[in-house]
Amino acid sequence: MYRAAGLKKVHGTKTVLNIPVLEVEKGRIVALLGPNGAGKTTLVHILGFLDVPSDGTLLYRNRPVAWSESRLQSLRREAVVVGQHPILFTTTVYRNLEFGLKVRRVPEKERRRITEATLDLVGMKAFAKSPAHHLSGGETQRVALARALAVSPQVLLCDEPTSSVDLENRAAIIHILKRINEEQKITVIFTTHDRFEAASLAQDTFYLEHGTLTNSPQDNVFSARLYREGDGPTHCVLQETVRLLVPTERVGRARVGIEPGRIDILEAGQVSGGPNRLDARVVQVMEERRRIRLVVDAGVWFTVLMSRQEYLERRIMVGESVTLVVPPESIHLFGEPA
Amino acid sequence: MDFLYDSFLSGALLLISLDPELISIVGVSVKVSLSSTCLASAVGVPLGFLVAFEDFKGKRMVVTVLNTLLALPTVVVGLFVYAFISRRGLFGPLDLLYTQKAMVCGQTILIIPVVATLTIAAISRIDERYRETALTLGANRLQTALVVVREARFGIVAAIIAAFGRVIAEVGISMMLGGNAKGFTRTITTAMALEYDKGEFTLAVALGLVLLILSFGINLLFHFVQGRLRA
Repeated sequence: MYRAAGLKKVHGTKTVLNIPVLEVEKGRIVALLGPNGAGKTTLVHILGFLDVPSDGTLLYRNRPVAWSESRLQSLRREAVVVGQHPILFTTTVYRNLEFGLKVRRVPEKERRRITEATLDLVGMKAFAKSPAHHLSGGETQRVALARALAVSPQVLLCDEPTSSVDLENRAAIIHILKRINEEQKITVIFTTHDRFEAASLAQDTFYLEHGTLTNSPQDNVFSARLYREGDGPTHCVLQETVRLLVPTERVGRARVGIEPGRIDILEAGQVSGGPNRLDARVVQVMEERRRIRLVVDAGVWFTVLMSRQEYLERRIMVGESVTLVVPPESIHLFGEPA
Repeated sequence: MDFLYDSFLSGALLLISLDPELISIVGVSVKVSLSSTCLASAVGVPLGFLVAFEDFKGKRMVVTVLNTLLALPTVVVGLFVYAFISRRGLFGPLDLLYTQKAMVCGQTILIIPVVATLTIAAISRIDERYRETALTLGANRLQTALVVVREARFGIVAAIIAAFGRVIAEVGISMMLGGNAKGFTRTITTAMALEYDKGEFTLAVALGLVLLILSFGINLLFHFVQGRLRA
């Protein structure tokens, strides 16, 4: 659906987005996972053709996007963005939904049919004649979603769709996104800072950190101090608590990320070679799709991912004392000093 | 203070009895002011919208000039238009001087900056998300612009009302370009000035009351329209 290369967005002297390569397949649910300020919204706006990248190419349905206003309108009619705090026009809910159809010159009868069906889909049919500004936050989010769906987009881009809604509306929104993806084959791209939401809803997940894609998820991202003693190897101290050997020449303060899938868990006292062995205790175990996520306390909390098979073989229990082995090559330094 | 009380009482009676001269003066005033407000809105609203909505070189300069023109004295506008429509002026052959058209012309020039600057303020206050929402839902530039105007409608109506208030109460242009001809170009304010010169306060006070009632009525109408639209 999308293929981006060297996509950059620069504000003044600050690069807010720098995506070397990004591919989104048609008909998938894709999560853009990252903390606040990671560039998720900027990327969504570019993918929704609302913002122009400073550099790089973006292919939409295998065609390069020409960033001229006259051509963008037809692309925008295929990819609709629903913002984190969507705003409804100061009119009725019905007229809000009708807007996208009206600008497409859909006949009135057809407009009514689509509008009513879409309101029904999001469970807001009873609110059709209500003034849009009387709705609650969750209802507003659902109407905004319906307004986007009414125009039958190819791609639905949602910026933090559940961040400001209650549990009931959150479940409803997740259900709607899954349903429209399954039934209408709409490609859904959503941003979130909640890895559990990403894991439960998305088929593909991209991790964003400081405006760039990273292989390691946000798990195990720490602020750290890097130092060397003489000509010895560099160590990093995570949160002034845990010391790890790290393959870099850099010193000073930095943000480091440790790949959760590459951390090994051994029984306490089990002998193994290599550096970065930490005594730890398992504090949480949960299933996440086909993998098992363990949270382990080694002075700081680490997330460890392992396959279901591996977990069943090892039978690690909550509360169990273990030894963590963190391979130096699983530790990554992020671009900018913390 | 007795004269003020007596004038007020006589003025009120004149108003209640619907004195023909008073009605004629009010009619001219309303007609001329409405015409100039309509013309100024036709120019000022799109101008204000363009300045607020579009990014172009020299935008800040345009805003500064419009803000400066807000303080334009009516006599300066009167003099300026007079220079064009007097017999020796460029439009002299059109014979516009001392007509209602001349007054409309001058008043329109006076309030275009009022309508434009207040429209700029009204549009600038509109949340950027309205524009983005319209665009992402597939609207073209014109449709997007209409969405923004629709959201700013109360502010724009307020701008037009403020402009009407400015012209109905102005005296310089009406006097210089209209000439205060009874039954033709005599407006509320020019009539009040004349009656003051004559030392006759009755009609002046009655006209003053009409001005206040007009202003109150317009604001009442605005609040009613605003309430209906919001409901």
